[in-house]
Amino acid sequence: MITRDWLLSDDPETRMQARLGQGYRLARALLRNPLAVVGLAIILLLLLVAMFAPWLAPYSPIQGELANRLQPPSATHWMGTDELGRDILSRIIFGARITLMIVLLVAIIAAPLGLLIGTVAGYFGGWVDRILMGLTDIFLSLPRLIMALAFVAALGPGIENAVIAIAITAWPVYARIARAEVLTFRKSEFLDAVRMQGASSARIITLHVMPLCMSSTIVRVTLDMAGIILTAAGLGFLGLGAQPPLPEWGAMISRGRSFILDQWWVATMPGFAIVVVSLGFCLFGDGLRDVLDPKQRARG
Amino acid sequence: MISVRNLTVSFGTTQVLHDVSLDVAKGESFALVGESGSGKSTILKALGGQLTSWGGELDIIDAPQGAGSKLALARKVQMVFQDPYGSLHPRRTIDDTLNEPLIIHGEQGRDKRVLDMLDAVGLSRRFRFRLPHQLSGGQRQRVAIARALMLDPPVLLLDEPTSALDVSVQAEILNLLKSLREEKGLTFLLVTHDLPVVSFLCDRLAILRAGRIEETTDVATLRAGQFSSAYGQELYQRSVDG
Amino acid sequence: MSLLSVENLRVTFPSDQGPVEVVRGLSFELGRERLGIVGESGSGKSMTGRAVMGLIASPGQVTADKLAFDGTDLRDMSESALRKLRGARMSMILQDPKFSLNPVIRIGAQIEEAMAVHGALTRSQRCARMLDALDAVRIDDPARVARLYPHEVSGGMGQRVMIAMMVVMEPALMIADEPTSALDVSVRGQVLDILDDLVKRRGMGLMLISHDLNMVARWCDRILVMYQGAIVEEIAAGQLYAATHPYTRGLVASLPRIDESRDRLPVLDRTAL
Repeated sequence: MITRDWLLSDDPETRMQARLGQGYRLARALLRNPLAVVGLAIILLLLLVAMFAPWLAPYSPIQGELANRLQPPSATHWMGTDELGRDILSRIIFGARITLMIVLLVAIIAAPLGLLIGTVAGYFGGWVDRILMGLTDIFLSLPRLIMALAFVAALGPGIENAVIAIAITAWPVYARIARAEVLTFRKSEFLDAVRMQGASSARIITLHVMPLCMSSTIVRVTLDMAGIILTAAGLGFLGLGAQPPLPEWGAMISRGRSFILDQWWVATMPGFAIVVVSLGFCLFGDGLRDVLDPKQRARG
Repeated sequence: MISVRNLTVSFGTTQVLHDVSLDVAKGESFALVGESGSGKSTILKALGGQLTSWGGELDIIDAPQGAGSKLALARKVQMVFQDPYGSLHPRRTIDDTLNEPLIIHGEQGRDKRVLDMLDAVGLSRRFRFRLPHQLSGGQRQRVAIARALMLDPPVLLLDEPTSALDVSVQAEILNLLKSLREEKGLTFLLVTHDLPVVSFLCDRLAILRAGRIEETTDVATLRAGQFSSAYGQELYQRSVDG
Repeated sequence: MSLLSVENLRVTFPSDQGPVEVVRGLSFELGRERLGIVGESGSGKSMTGRAVMGLIASPGQVTADKLAFDGTDLRDMSESALRKLRGARMSMILQDPKFSLNPVIRIGAQIEEAMAVHGALTRSQRCARMLDALDAVRIDDPARVARLYPHEVSGGMGQRVMIAMMVVMEPALMIADEPTSALDVSVRGQVLDILDDLVKRRGMGLMLISHDLNMVARWCDRILVMYQGAIVEEIAAGQLYAATHPYTRGLVASLPRIDESRDRLPVLDRTAL
């Protein structure tokens, strides 16, 4: 039976109980922060919408009726229709899938890559550090959107290439953060102790160094989500991301631009979606930082 | 057990150890005494394999220090560090920390060995799944000692193991170290600046100053305050006068 | 009249399990003397020092029936007035000088800045007094050290620089929290001598907070032994071995001696206290 006292016990009896207890403490701290809860709610909503898009969307996101083109928001089309008569609400609901996919793929590619490069550089120091950080700095010094543009131009437009391009431009930040974090404890005695037990460098980096950089990376990734969504939207806006007729939010704004003065809803509705989702990730990231920050936790 | 011959160590252009030689017999407890910058911790680091370059010869249990694999060295020597707050991984439970050496060396029957070791160092079994920040300084130092003993090494390097602890806790840890040494026949190499601790825990001591050994003597000399070197006598006087 | 007068000082911190009192109703008087406060970690000794200095940050709460420094009540003083007082007449030395010195300002300039509390001095006057202060803390080459940055000096030197800053400010009350525990025994003696000199010649009141029973017992005029936020015993200079409280006696007994012959050290029995 899982009770609150069991979870909060200072003397857990099993490994499982200890892990659950730690998780529960984190969750409890997070839920005490109202803004983080709002962020979490937005992210959960995005997840649910993406998951149940075919059931939630009232119309097809791709097939429109030209007769209904550029209808203002009404009871039948809550967010109006676009220039091909497609229901904007349905497109935004299906667009959530694309946004979520981009965000997840970038996080899965960029964060581990940055974490690995940063921890290796920080742990070994010396010439390994100089080479890896030189590389990182080169990537970091190039403007993100321009870099992404260059990659997409080279690889060809399309959503997969946009994801790769964003991921390639996103990792250097995580590498920098992870390295800075490693430098604060690379000389610490707990690492000396495992080294003396004969642990390999690979084992030390993955099991002892990385977990300590994990929370700052998670926080940073969450905070970066907004930027990633905006970059993806930017690429879509420039016609280099998702290709029509995919309902990508950035591309939708781009198409709506031509009618912005007379049919404001075509560009505004997807823009609104981008703002809300970005805000959600930002709020949640802020809350996570408060909870995961090692300095904050040391006091608890 | 431990034999150090003409050990020299330099960091950059500064030489921190000059031709240091000492021998520690099996089962002996030997202290390296000196002020900061005397090079006492550097000797410990060289023996523990934390230094990459040094001159001279270091033998531990009849084999040169650098010769065997890291794993082989780990089974011979382990270390207890000064700072009980910095020597435990902040995100790993006591159980993780104690299991780690066993996993690295592919040992079996880990659960039992962890529990036995908790008993041996006088830690309640209910602390097993706690994180370091849920323990006091003395309890952490017990964990650090337990970790060092998990692989049953014959030699333990002790780097000021009680200087960060409260007086009453220091007594508990010193007693524990003494009992463990008697039970397991351990050889201690202790680095400290605290002469009374040496008097309690050690058989012989070497006094270091600026990277050289001033004097090597047994603990009876310390208790009587009859060092032959002027510096040894000076340290003794300061310790007595505060 | 006493310099510092404290009655029923309490420091409380909130926690998940309700408020926790780390200092429980402390009362003491400090004259122009060396008062030692000893205790183990968690005894509330550092919190006492910080509370007197008005350095307990929220959510910590300080209450006292009386907290008077040289006749002025510190309890309802404004933060800015307190800050002024802290700069000039009360000062604090911490264990690690690295955290108390500004890392990007040269040592000499920092000491000169500390003089600002004593009104306008010309540049050359300030410089001369700064060099005098460094000299007073037995720094051999004051002119060279004054040009160094804090990270370029050793811990012992840094601690002496901190004390030099105190010397130029000539505080009436100094609270030294573990001022020597990061130092080697040889430097420790020098630092204590300098503090001693400040007390004797300038009539300063000193509160020396430390865990080191022997050092405090040998060096202070009076010792307060703290345990769990309260004073359990007051001991006169040199009378440590005549202590009567079981806690103090337990601590003294558990210290190893230089001519140690006991096979096991007696361990403090906390349940009996």
